Amino acid sequence: MTTPTAALPAGAALPGITLRGLTKNYGATEVLTDVTATLTPGRIYGLLGANGTGKTTLLACIAGHTFRTGGEILIDGQDPREHAPTLARLCFVHEDQAYNDAFSVADILAVMPAFHPDWDPDTATRLVRRFRIPRRTRSRKLSRGQRSALAITLALASGAAYTFLDEPYLGLDATARGIFYDELLAAYAASHEQAASGASAPRTFVMSTHLIDEAAELIEEVLVLEGGRIVLQADVDDARRTAFLARGFEADVLALAVGREVLSTRRLGGILTATIRGDLSVDDRRCATEARVSIEPTTLQELVAAIGQHGESDQPAPHYATESSPVQ
Amino acid sequence: MITYSRRSLRLYLANRQDVLAVPLYTLGALVLLSVLVSIVIGIATGFPLSVSVQDGFRASSGTIWALPGFLATVGIMAATRNFAMALAFGSTRRHFWLGTMAGFVLTAAVTGVGAVVALGLERLTGHWFVGAYALDVAALGNGNVAQTFGVVFVVALVAMTAGAMFGTVYRAFGAKTTALLGVACVVLLFVAIAVIVGKWGSLGPLVDGWGAWAGVAVGAVLIVVTAAGSYAACQRASV
Repeated sequence: MTTPTAALPAGAALPGITLRGLTKNYGATEVLTDVTATLTPGRIYGLLGANGTGKTTLLACIAGHTFRTGGEILIDGQDPREHAPTLARLCFVHEDQAYNDAFSVADILAVMPAFHPDWDPDTATRLVRRFRIPRRTRSRKLSRGQRSALAITLALASGAAYTFLDEPYLGLDATARGIFYDELLAAYAASHEQAASGASAPRTFVMSTHLIDEAAELIEEVLVLEGGRIVLQADVDDARRTAFLARGFEADVLALAVGREVLSTRRLGGILTATIRGDLSVDDRRCATEARVSIEPTTLQELVAAIGQHGESDQPAPHYATESSPVQ
Repeated sequence: MITYSRRSLRLYLANRQDVLAVPLYTLGALVLLSVLVSIVIGIATGFPLSVSVQDGFRASSGTIWALPGFLATVGIMAATRNFAMALAFGSTRRHFWLGTMAGFVLTAAVTGVGAVVALGLERLTGHWFVGAYALDVAALGNGNVAQTFGVVFVVALVAMTAGAMFGTVYRAFGAKTTALLGVACVVLLFVAIAVIVGKWGSLGPLVDGWGAWAGVAVGAVLIVVTAAGSYAACQRASV
């Protein structure tokens, strides 16, 4: 595993990634707005949100691949901009990573140990075999799935203290996604074992993903981006508890929602399904039961989708495949 | 500094075929072409080739112009694709630039050594047995080993640093700025040519005195300018 940055005294707990008031504009378009968050080391983070909410841009800003417009980024207390010891502990292979056209997979794998002293050749060999990545094929000839598999291989075998995975499963079938999840957990567990022996700090993984429910079992903490802002950062279980689904006659559901933030609604005839932020008291639950309003926990996918829908949607209800219309 | 830069040098050298061997193949192809042309002319005019034909070969600067096209592509690829890879793997822009420039120097040096070796063979074989002149030409110092190395080294390096400059400017500022830079370079080139032509009376004897070193000196200036340009643009380039 990678050694901690020299900016900190030996034995000090690493503060991880700190974002304060981070903004990023592309011309007049504000992509990230006042992003503030702390990512403690040794966890698997899920960076969630709809397309275009700034997930990749946020990762690119942290890794120094693009320039922030304002705010502060610290990695283990150090501004990573052009700071070689800090950046050397990062690995961020983009979803659409550009490789030198002349490089074969073998060329790329051969150069990785130079960048990452903790490169694990056994992991790389195993992943190449399990994903069936053709070693001699030039990078430009790889299929979408093979590119994703290569990105996963590079990221997991890098041993980088901070590993960013940008939509890592694109083009992967269910079997390959299963391999990825297994290997991610294996890399995570291995880094914690090494950390327990005092050899190094455990690795931190930040993964942007759309397959939220599928990845939910891996993710320890979620950051939900909406409109370039982090609107939720919580442990997965806590995040699920921040909202609930209420389903019943429209008037009853809306009565239950009074005083609460309705994240999204979907209608089937007279039946309304609403994703509502907040918690329910025992009295609320009793009232809901009497009104025949069913209360269900949200899945992470439903919660993120609801946040992205801003309270209204034309999409089918989570549990009904049918038409919908706005409530208000 | 060296440790981090060496990583990008390793990346540059990941495909040695392209960055070390292909420039030598290009030189070899040029020699072969010169021999074939000499044979064709010899068949028409008889062997050995006449002095006037040999002088025509010796005045040719084909060797110089054969290399830049491919090497500029090497520079562009390094500045764009290798840049994206180096940053993905945790490099700073500064170390990427230093490592890549070291790679360019290595490619130019290998190409220069290759040219010197070919020059030696050319002279050893009586100009490839048929009086063909590929490297023993005026533009490369008329058989002067140091000048041959110097000119080929500088031409190769200029091509790569210029390619890197354009590639990096494209990454940093987009296609419009890159096109404007191209236009500006062409205008500057013509201004320089106009100045040189206008002052040839005083510059001519100087250039004659310096021989091929004059080209090396001009190339060295271009290397400094294009390398500085690529460094500046690299600091603003994003993935």
